[in-house]
Formats: sequence, C-alpha cells, structure tokens
Amino acid sequence: MRFLKYLVLGACAVFLSSCAATIPTELSKARQAYQQTSQGPAAQLVPAELHKAKQALDRAEASFSNDPQSYQTKDLAYVAERKAMRAEALASIASQKRDAAQANKAYQTSQSEVIEKTKEDLATQKTEATAAGAAAALEAEQLARREAEKRAADAQAELAKIAMLKEEARGLVITLSGSVVFATNQATILPAAQSRLNQVAEALMSTDKNRQLIVEGHTDSRGSSDYNLDLSRRRAESVRAYLISRGYPGELIETRGIGEARPIADNASPEGRSNNRRVEIVVRQGAKQ
Amino acid sequence: MRHLKLAVMAVSFLLVVTIAGCASGPSFSKSSSESKSAIRAAEEAGSINTPSAAYHLQLAKEELARAEALAAGGEKEQAASLLTRAEADAELAIALSHEQDEKMDAAKAMERVRKLREENQLPIERSNP
Repeated sequence: MRFLKYLVLGACAVFLSSCAATIPTELSKARQAYQQTSQGPAAQLVPAELHKAKQALDRAEASFSNDPQSYQTKDLAYVAERKAMRAEALASIASQKRDAAQANKAYQTSQSEVIEKTKEDLATQKTEATAAGAAAALEAEQLARREAEKRAADAQAELAKIAMLKEEARGLVITLSGSVVFATNQATILPAAQSRLNQVAEALMSTDKNRQLIVEGHTDSRGSSDYNLDLSRRRAESVRAYLISRGYPGELIETRGIGEARPIADNASPEGRSNNRRVEIVVRQGAKQ
Repeated sequence: MRHLKLAVMAVSFLLVVTIAGCASGPSFSKSSSESKSAIRAAEEAGSINTPSAAYHLQLAKEELARAEALAAGGEKEQAASLLTRAEADAELAIALSHEQDEKMDAAKAMERVRKLREENQLPIERSNP
C-alpha cells in the first residue's frame, strides 16, 4: 500500500516536471519580457503599446494551451516578446521626448535669466562707475587742496626770505622797509626796490591769486600828520599800482594811508623812525567770494 | 437536370474550400510583402547605426530568408508564421533606432542648457529637467 502511494507521487512528479519542460523558450522569454515592461514606465507612457504586447502574449498563451510545442505557439511567443521589447523602447522614446521638451523649456527660462542677470550686471556696473567717479572727484579735490596748500606754504617761505612776515588776526602781514622802497618824502618806488617787490608779487601770484590784499602805508612822526597821512596813502597806491603791473588783480587790492598813527618802534631814535617808515601788505585769510 | 444539380454542388464545394482556405490566415505573399516593407523601413530609420537595432534587423532578414526557403519547399503556412517574427524584429529595430535618436536629441538639449547656464554663471542644478 505504501509502495503504491510512492509510485503515485513519483508519477505525479514526473508528470509535472515533464509539463514544466515542455514550455517553449520563446514563451518563457515572452512572459519575462512582458512582466519587465509592464513594471516599467511603459504602463504610464505608452499604455496602448503595452496592451498590444499583452494581447500578443495572450494569443501565445492560448496557442500554448491548445498545442504547446507547435511552431505557431513558438512564433506567437516570439512576436509577443518582441512587442514587449518594442513597448519598452517606445516608452523610452516618450521619456526622452519629455526630457528634451523640458530641457528646451529650461533653455528658454535660462535665456530669460541671462537677460535679467545682464540687466542687473549693467545696473551694478553703472552704480560702481558712479561711485568710482565720485571717489575720483573727491580724490582730485583733495589733491588740488593739497597742491594749493603747498603753493601757499612755498610762497610764504619765499616771502620770508625777502621781507618780514607776521601772522596776525587780520591775516599774513608782509612788512617792507620804507627806506628801502622809497626815497625820503617820495612816493615813487626806487629802482633798487623793484626786484624785491617783483619777488613779493611773484610769491603772491604763485598762490591762488584770489586773496584780497590790503596795502598800508606808514610813516615816522616827523613832519605834519596830514602830510604824513597823504604820503603814506600815495606810497600805498604806488605799491598797489606796481602789483597790478605785475599781474595781480586790481579789484583785490585795497590801499590805506595810515600815516604816523601806528608806529612799531620809538620815533625818538633814527633806528626807530626807520622801522616806522614801512609798507605793510596784509594778505587776508581765505579767498574772496 | 441531374447534371446541373451535380455541377452546382461541385461549384459550391469549390467555393467553400476556397473561402475556408482564405479564412485560415493571410497569404504568404502578403505577409512577405509586409515583412519586406518593415525591413526596408528599419534600414531607412538608420538601424544599421545602432547596435541593438542592427542586431534585430539582421534577425528579421534571416527570418525572411528562412520563410522564403520554407515557402519554396511548400511549407507556406509555417513560412507565413515565421514571417511574423521577421516583421516583429523589423518593427523592434525601428523603435530601437528611434530611441537612440531621441536619447541623443535629449542629451543635446540638456547640454545646451548646461552650457548656457555655465557660460553665464547661473546655477547649473536648476537647468536639469
């Protein structure tokens, strides 16, 4: 009885294994190909083509049921495998087309971004250029100021060599000795004094040439005060005229006759009187507006 | 009258046989024509330039030749069945060839975007579709 059971089981095993072996290779491949394709993007991208592949596989399966080893079954299975592969290729084509379309759209978007970026770059460059221009203007202004200060300092140093200089609240005072510049009781500039006045004029001209000057004539106390006042005024006028002849703007030069009113030394001694006979050129602070 | 009846029966039988023959499947010549047409289309699609497509084109040609040999030997039904393989391989070759073309087009389009963004110093990752 036990032997009979084993015999039946063995016969079933042999039957089943023989059935499995009879599946044509073409059909196995077709089933595998369809399974692979149906699990890929074909179901979403090319459902109609996948359906055709399924129909082809169904035909092969039907033929296999009727006549497993016939050439029709093998040919139908072969065609079904190719249709599954074709569906997969067509899905890939659809995917590539989608990628290309998206890339083309991205290209257009990128072009718009490039245009925007170019506009921004231009705006930035313009701003930077404006800032650079302002910085250059500031630097030029600072340079000009430094040069003007240097010229003024040089002029002052030059003046210090040829005349007495003194910084006062009313400005820089250049004092020229009257005995050097004028003959006694005269308002005409001595030829020997012209070179010194030339140097004074050059020093004043080397500055901005827009400083206001006050030329003051001073005398000692000998003679009448009216006479001295008139003499001092005429001497101041002479110096003004000379400076104008050297190119200094006349409208910037003011003259004053002080006479004996503001001595700087004792008129009792000859030396003191000599110091009192003088011409003072006051260079006012700041340019005339 | 009896001869006429026999003649009608004979003609009817021949018609039934002919119709039944036609209904059994497409003729070999028609299938052969369709297979050749598919092979020609695969060649025109440039299948020869794509290895996988060229392989299936070659299979299609071999299957066509085998089918013609079978038909010449009188095995027209089996030959017609074999032609379906040739046509399926030829159609697959066309699809594979087009797939390669589309891949190249997509790659070119993406490269064009990448290059444009790179040249203009735009973030590259945003260009990827």
